[in-house]
Parts: sequence; C-alpha cells; structure tokens
Amino acid sequence: MPLQPWMKLLSTDDHLIEPPRLWVDRLPAKYQEAGPRIVEQPRGGDAAPAEVWSYEGRIYPYIGLNAVAGKQPEEFGMEPTRYDEMIPGCYDPKARLRDMDLDGVWGALCFPSFPRFAGTVFLDGQDRQLAGLCVKAWNDFVLDEWSATAPDRLIPLIILPLWDVRECVAEIHRTAAKGAKAISFPENPVPLGLPSFHTDHWDPVFSAAEETDLPLCLHFGTSGNAPKTAPEAPFAVTIALFGCNSMYATADLLFSPVFHRHPQLKVGLSEGGIGWIPYLLDRIDFTWERHRFYQNVNQDGRPSELFRRHMHGCFIDDEFGVRSRHDIGVDHITWECDYPHSDSYWPKSRAYAAEVMADVPDDEVHRMVELNTRRLYNLPA
Amino acid sequence: MSRRPESERSDWTDLDLLTREEAADRLREEITETEARLGDADPAERELLETRLRALREAAEELGSS
Repeated sequence: MPLQPWMKLLSTDDHLIEPPRLWVDRLPAKYQEAGPRIVEQPRGGDAAPAEVWSYEGRIYPYIGLNAVAGKQPEEFGMEPTRYDEMIPGCYDPKARLRDMDLDGVWGALCFPSFPRFAGTVFLDGQDRQLAGLCVKAWNDFVLDEWSATAPDRLIPLIILPLWDVRECVAEIHRTAAKGAKAISFPENPVPLGLPSFHTDHWDPVFSAAEETDLPLCLHFGTSGNAPKTAPEAPFAVTIALFGCNSMYATADLLFSPVFHRHPQLKVGLSEGGIGWIPYLLDRIDFTWERHRFYQNVNQDGRPSELFRRHMHGCFIDDEFGVRSRHDIGVDHITWECDYPHSDSYWPKSRAYAAEVMADVPDDEVHRMVELNTRRLYNLPA
Repeated sequence: MSRRPESERSDWTDLDLLTREEAADRLREEITETEARLGDADPAERELLETRLRALREAAEELGSS
C-alpha cells in the first residue's frame, strides 16, 4: 500500500460555504443593508423558502451551489438551497474538521462560494468602498475564524479587490502578515473586463505575491467562462472539457511576460486534472521553437522549463495523469479532494487516493499528497 | 428586489453540493463496508475499524436526526 498511514493528505482544492452572518458581522452599520446578506425567497408548495444572497439589491440564487439557476422555484426542492439542508461541514469549521477526519484528509485549502472562487462577484459592486470591505471581511473570516479553528489543517487562501491594483497589493501584504498562504486569482482576467497577463497591469500584484511567497491559485471557471459548445449541448460536454480552461491558462501564462518578470512567482492550477499537461507542454515547446522568432514572446527559455519552475497542477481521480506523472514532473503534482462538492469521494477520499496510486512508489505518493503542497504553500510539517 | 432569482452566474453552474441525504447514504454505505471488514481484521486493525465505525455512526445519526 503506497499511501502509508503516516502520510497526511493535503487537499489543494476544497470549498467553503460562507455562513449567513459573515458580512453582517463585519461590515459597518451603514453597509448592513447593501452588503451581502441572506434573504428568503419562496420555493412554492409547502417547501421552506430558499435562502439566497442579496448584495446591493441584486439576488444571487446560490448559497453554496447554483443548481437553482434557471429553474422555476417549484423545481428548487431537490438541492440544498437552505443552510439547514446542507451538511454542516460546508460552513462550520469544526464540522469540517470532523468530516475531514472521516475522510482521512489532514489539510484543505478552501475556495469561496458566494464571492465566486476568485472573489469576482465583488467586481459587480457599484460601491467600490463596500466591495473592498467585503473582500477584507471574507479574508478576515478565513484568517480569524475558519483557519484559526485549526491553523495547521485549514489552509488560509485569500481573495483580492481585483478592480484596484494598489488595493490588491495592500491586501496581499495585510493578509500575509496575518498568515495567509495562497491567493485565489482569475485563470484569465480578460472575460471579466480586466487587463490580460500580457500587459504590465498586474506586475505590482505579482511582485507582492513574490515578496510574500504566496502562490496564485487559478481555479478553473474563475474567468467566468466555462467550456460550452452549443446552447443545447448537455452539461456533460462542459464537464468533460473543464481541463481546457486550465490548458488555456497555462498556455496564456507561459507565452506571457509574467514568469520572466516575476522569477519567484508560483502558480497552482486548481482542479482541471493533470493528464493533459505533457501533451500541452510538448505542443507549447514545439510552437515556441518554430514560431517564436516573429512573435512578441520571450526568446530565451523553453516554456516547459518555465512550467517546471513556476506551476503545479492537482488531481482527484485522473488515473491517466498519475500514470503520466514522470512526464509532468512528480514535484508539480498535488492532490485535491473537492469537498463538499458531490464529485468528491467523501468519506472515502483516502481509500480512493490509495487505489488510484496503488502502483506508485511510496516516496512519489508522499510527494504528491503532502510534501509538494507543504513546499509550494509554505506549510511546516 | 425581485421575487425570482436573477443571476445565473457562478463559477460552477450545476456542479452541486453533497446533500444531507446523499451524505447520509454515503455514510451508511461506508458503515456497511467497514462492518464487513471487521470479521477478517486482526486485533490492531479491528480497533482502528471500530473507532472509525463509531465516528461514522455518530456522523450518520447527526445527519439523519435533523
């Protein structure tokens, strides 16, 4: 059994659901009405009303999922649209730890839900001062309450006020001083109306990430664009193509000036699997060797070398990726659980990880499930 | 404020959470499988399995009781 009992599983992609009073408890009185708060909406029939977020009067019909979007209220009933319909581990850090124990998982890096995975919901904010306070409130919740419950197990990840680079820099330094370990950042800022990785716009942010040694975590979907081939295509098409978002982000970054200007920057691709990495790196190197001379791309280093200096991916159940680990680079692979989404294997994540890595030598398993994450996210053993 | 949800934007449209019911089902399945392993277990493993069973049963009861 290569996954030994003493190896601690560290997940680089889990999620938390914001408790209903997260912002109410942290925003000044003048923002109580406009700031994010839970309101009830009828679901029809005898069903208890749905609980949804209200932010500046806009309704966001998901507290932990979006399965209600586009449905009639009477169709809401099957999914948890109220806190009391969720498993408490979604929003209660003590319950989360208990669920992690049942799952054989030691540590978890948790992305936001209502703010979207990179906090981009606050780009919708009409009042930028309120939006900035909302970002700080989420980060303070994570640092002071969520992760503080078990600092060695609940790894604090922060979000940024993406509309203001100076504010982003200040927030990185503020939260790093409080113990933040990672920054959630959009996989591609352009669809969000923000400047691309090919501009110098984000340089101060990336410099701050280097100075504080906080990796950027690019969760797929954070650009706001999911792979979709046709309006009538089943969602299975989108699910099957999720890894393509990570491929886009990888190619975009490797052909951008980002890693040349920021030699210490670390980037984690959150969710999206790993099996595609060897093909894409081959393809990117081929493109660079043949086409770099007439394009505005760096001429000095092969993109695959940049990948291995700066980037890492993660997997839940990518058996092909595990078999291809030497082509990827074992030190560039981390493990993820994805609790509390239903595609996680809870409460059998550890057993399933052992099964997927049954043919992998012990030391490589240890690197993928624990040691790489400790190194990349500066987590002491 | 409108009565109906307006926004369909999310980072994981239609990727859902574990429901309480689904979580309870998974726990019951794990309890059954763990109980089945008790018979073949040596004393040390048996102790570990029994500890796990207690935790699984406690979690299943909590989900089932509320």
